[in-house]
Amino acid sequence: MPSLRLDGRRIDVRDGDTIAAAAYRAGIRTFSRSLKAHRRRGLYCGTGDCANCLVTVDGLPGERACVTPARDGMKVDRETGWPSTDRDLLAINDRLHRLMPVGFYYKVFARPRWLWPIAERVIRRATGTGTLPLKAPARRMATRFVRVRTLVIGGGVAGLAAAATAAADGSVLVAEERELGARITDPAARETIARLAAEARAAGAEVLEGHTAIGIYEGPATAVLGRDELVEVEAERVIVATGAVEAHGVFPGNDLPGVWLGRGAAVMAAIHGVPIGDRVVIVANTDEGQHLADAIRAGGSDVALVAGRVLEARGSREVSSVSVLTPEGRRAFACDALVLSLGWAPRDTLLRMTAEPEVVGAGDVTSPGRSLADAEASGRAAGRGDPVEPADAGPWPVAEQDGYVCVCEDVSMHDLEHAWSEGWTSSEILKRYTTATMGPCQGALCSRHLAEHARAKGAAPAARGRTTARPPVRAPRLGDLTGAVHEQVERRTALHERHVAAGARIDHSGVWLRPGTYGDVDGEIRAVRERVSVMDVSTLGKFLVAGREARMLLDRVFPLDVGSIAPGRARYLLALDEAGYVMDDGLLAALGDDTFYLTSTSGGADRMEAWLRNWTDRLELHAHVLNQTAQLGAINVAGPHARDLLATLSEDDLSRAAIPYPGHAEITVAGVPCRAIAVGFVGELSYELHHPRGRSIELWDALLDAGAAWDIRPHGLDALDVLRLEKSHVYLAQDTMPDDHPAKLGLDWAVATHKDEFVGKRALERMNALPLERRLVGLRFDGPPQRGYPLAADGVIVGRITSCTVSSAAGGPVGLGWLRAIDGTFPSVLRAGDVTATVSPTPFYDPEGVRLRG
Amino acid sequence: MAELRDRALGVIVCAADASALDRLVPAGHGARMLRVAPDEIMAVVDAAFTQDVRRELADRVAALDGDALVLDVSDGWAAIAITGEDADRTFSYLSALDPPEDDGFAQGDVARVAAKVLRVPGGLAILVPAYWREHVRARAVDDAGTTEARG
Amino acid sequence: MSMLVTCPTCGRRPFTEFSFGGELRDIASPDAATDFARVYLRDNAAGPQQERWFHLLGCRRWVTLTRDTGSNRVEA
Repeated sequence: MPSLRLDGRRIDVRDGDTIAAAAYRAGIRTFSRSLKAHRRRGLYCGTGDCANCLVTVDGLPGERACVTPARDGMKVDRETGWPSTDRDLLAINDRLHRLMPVGFYYKVFARPRWLWPIAERVIRRATGTGTLPLKAPARRMATRFVRVRTLVIGGGVAGLAAAATAAADGSVLVAEERELGARITDPAARETIARLAAEARAAGAEVLEGHTAIGIYEGPATAVLGRDELVEVEAERVIVATGAVEAHGVFPGNDLPGVWLGRGAAVMAAIHGVPIGDRVVIVANTDEGQHLADAIRAGGSDVALVAGRVLEARGSREVSSVSVLTPEGRRAFACDALVLSLGWAPRDTLLRMTAEPEVVGAGDVTSPGRSLADAEASGRAAGRGDPVEPADAGPWPVAEQDGYVCVCEDVSMHDLEHAWSEGWTSSEILKRYTTATMGPCQGALCSRHLAEHARAKGAAPAARGRTTARPPVRAPRLGDLTGAVHEQVERRTALHERHVAAGARIDHSGVWLRPGTYGDVDGEIRAVRERVSVMDVSTLGKFLVAGREARMLLDRVFPLDVGSIAPGRARYLLALDEAGYVMDDGLLAALGDDTFYLTSTSGGADRMEAWLRNWTDRLELHAHVLNQTAQLGAINVAGPHARDLLATLSEDDLSRAAIPYPGHAEITVAGVPCRAIAVGFVGELSYELHHPRGRSIELWDALLDAGAAWDIRPHGLDALDVLRLEKSHVYLAQDTMPDDHPAKLGLDWAVATHKDEFVGKRALERMNALPLERRLVGLRFDGPPQRGYPLAADGVIVGRITSCTVSSAAGGPVGLGWLRAIDGTFPSVLRAGDVTATVSPTPFYDPEGVRLRG
Repeated sequence: MAELRDRALGVIVCAADASALDRLVPAGHGARMLRVAPDEIMAVVDAAFTQDVRRELADRVAALDGDALVLDVSDGWAAIAITGEDADRTFSYLSALDPPEDDGFAQGDVARVAAKVLRVPGGLAILVPAYWREHVRARAVDDAGTTEARG
Repeated sequence: MSMLVTCPTCGRRPFTEFSFGGELRDIASPDAATDFARVYLRDNAAGPQQERWFHLLGCRRWVTLTRDTGSNRVEA
């Protein structure tokens, strides 16, 4: 006989059992303990709407026992109560309930201040639902995208009718939380569902069982959660046919084990064949009373069916009697199960969370309690796209006496009255103060009670509505939502495997994977300064800008005098935004009269492309912009022997005459066609070789091979940081702020102020007319500096170190930092902790630039 | 189970006036002409025919727009094919795009990067900037469950 | 999750494929005073607003469209 273990106890499992059915048959009546008062809670809704039966299954908490199929070998644990759910010492809280009105913990434990963190920890221990399985392996959740014409949520009569009809109009997907027909006890309804399901499938509708729609977002886009996948559904229309659950009755004793909502009781008795009690009283004010009585009788119980208002349910561990005000007067019944069908609570959370007109309801969710034929007709009408019928949930059993309103959070009518009298006088505020509707059921049972309470108290219309519905409708695990989300989307250069093979530490540099160092940063720096080295700079943004108005475009957008760049020459490029602030920098090389090659920083490539395309568009210029960042690799050959190395691999003229500084030429190196650009970022003779990406490995290998004669080694980002700092070259976003105009960075030489028009010109004029209030300066230190450290003058903080290093080539510890002016002048001697910093001329190394001009 | 394989494709970009591109006669050798923007056509063809197609298009486009640009940009693109009976369903794990019909193409978010998608014999070809190649392959294997094709 | 933006080349797409370029504004001003307003000030209207969007994951071109900042609906 298949079995499962519940808190270690062996329980038989029969075909078709849910965990709740197997447990109930075995005599389990208390499934959980309530949040604050630790009251016994038993099966209530039986349909997955409330939170009484949450259990931990095979280590995963938060599973609803009443809808989870039982399987042989399952390990089930109840989650609340200490030391056990059956014998819970914290049930003492229930006795002390009077002393603990809602919100008491905010007031009692707030003073003295040190008490709150302790109190908070204790309160957390005493409440809560389950323990997180910190050691459980992460489940792999897939994410799938689906686009359909119509999404139907709910595979009941109305939903399947809608699907069958809508299928004539385009693709249809039906998302049903369980299996079709799982909670249907009426034989006529089961037949209808079978018929409609066949019709829908034959018409081409796809039915996804075991999939719950947890939220509808703008679009409309719907998140549908299955056991192993998250499906993002984009649909032109969404039909919500999620049905209704019985209204939650509020009266003393309403949360006792043994009190059931009608349909759940019927499912237990008729589908699982487990009698819910010997003497059952059904209080039904809806049309379903007779059907419920038949279903429950079929389970073997003795049934009394009455209509009226429940005054009180009594019992200690379980219900033992109920008192009802019937049309004939007050009557009392002894019973061991009380079944309620007092009204309807449509499962309308999904409908209420969206204002999109494409999302409509059909069936019980709009008008509950109707006949099968009406439900089918309603579904078909929605499937056809007929105008939406007005919603009519029917009468609501307004709470007239004390009882638990929010069962999940242990909020009683008394608590609501108390909170209202304290001044929390709207349904939204009442929710936040009392936490009603904020439990695992998310107001499925009680949100209308909260609104009705506000209405009964005379609240204004704006203060008595249902509280805002938000996703998710059912609590998903975080892992369920992360599916295909990954930390980084990573870009790799063609040389990535070469760097890995050389033992490089690979860093995330923005979205790129780049080598930080190959193991010896000082060695790499020495190779550049004394011999020759190579660096993979393929990550640079690269653009071809060509066409009859290409020069006009570049001249209008950038602050440099493009016309004065002769073919064969290049110039340092500053990109300014409309406020005159530095956005990016790079190089502009003139290839011809109307053809230009532009580079940007590695992180700025996409922004540069967007920038160029925007201005081409707005200025309506004939210019082509081609993003070649992926197409071309780039290797920087740098060091006093750079030219010597290239000479062994190239027949071309590499002299300054042929490749001026700054300038470029097309040469062939090791058989690979390259655009060699003479650059000066690291302060040594350098040639940046831009070449087809497909030949990067070939070129790299040839350079390292031929470079062995000079004991070549590649250098990475760590070395680059020091090398460029010795030349006081700025790193954007590290040394610069978003509102730095060129003067603040000492880069005004890169701005051709005589030009008529360029982006940011007027803003620059405005700012240059004002005294400079902040500058980036070079600094020399008398001790080891720290990046980010504040700089102080006379005890007042006036700036910050943005980059620093200890460098022999620079003659000691040096760095960059920004300073603000005090009374119009910039201080020249500062303190950074124990270290003195002196403003110093830059660059620190080779100030005349002799070495890089080679 | 869908399979993953690299495809050797040639990619030629034609940047020209929209009116010129409207009138451009497609290149031969089975080249697919993708109108990725009003002012840009990407011609995609088996790698063997790249230079032939480039020459063909350079001549044709020059006749329609003297200021046009026609370049072989094959190095800048990585082409990954997902083949098999359930290629479309496999693709749905990587992207919300509708897989294109026979001769068409789609461009948009695939595995969170900018991609073009074409239908090819046996399945779908995804073109991404070359620096995304390993990323897309990893997502196709980890998230969409493809297996490496042999041979 | 899926505010939809219409790109003339690629069709209706989730906004996550785009880069937002802000309110549409003039590309130049006749004088210094209007330039200040053009660069630093925004209307920030509640209601339909003309905006610039760049289709970063698609055709990589700019589009000007109208979005209602209240309902977040983008006009086709």
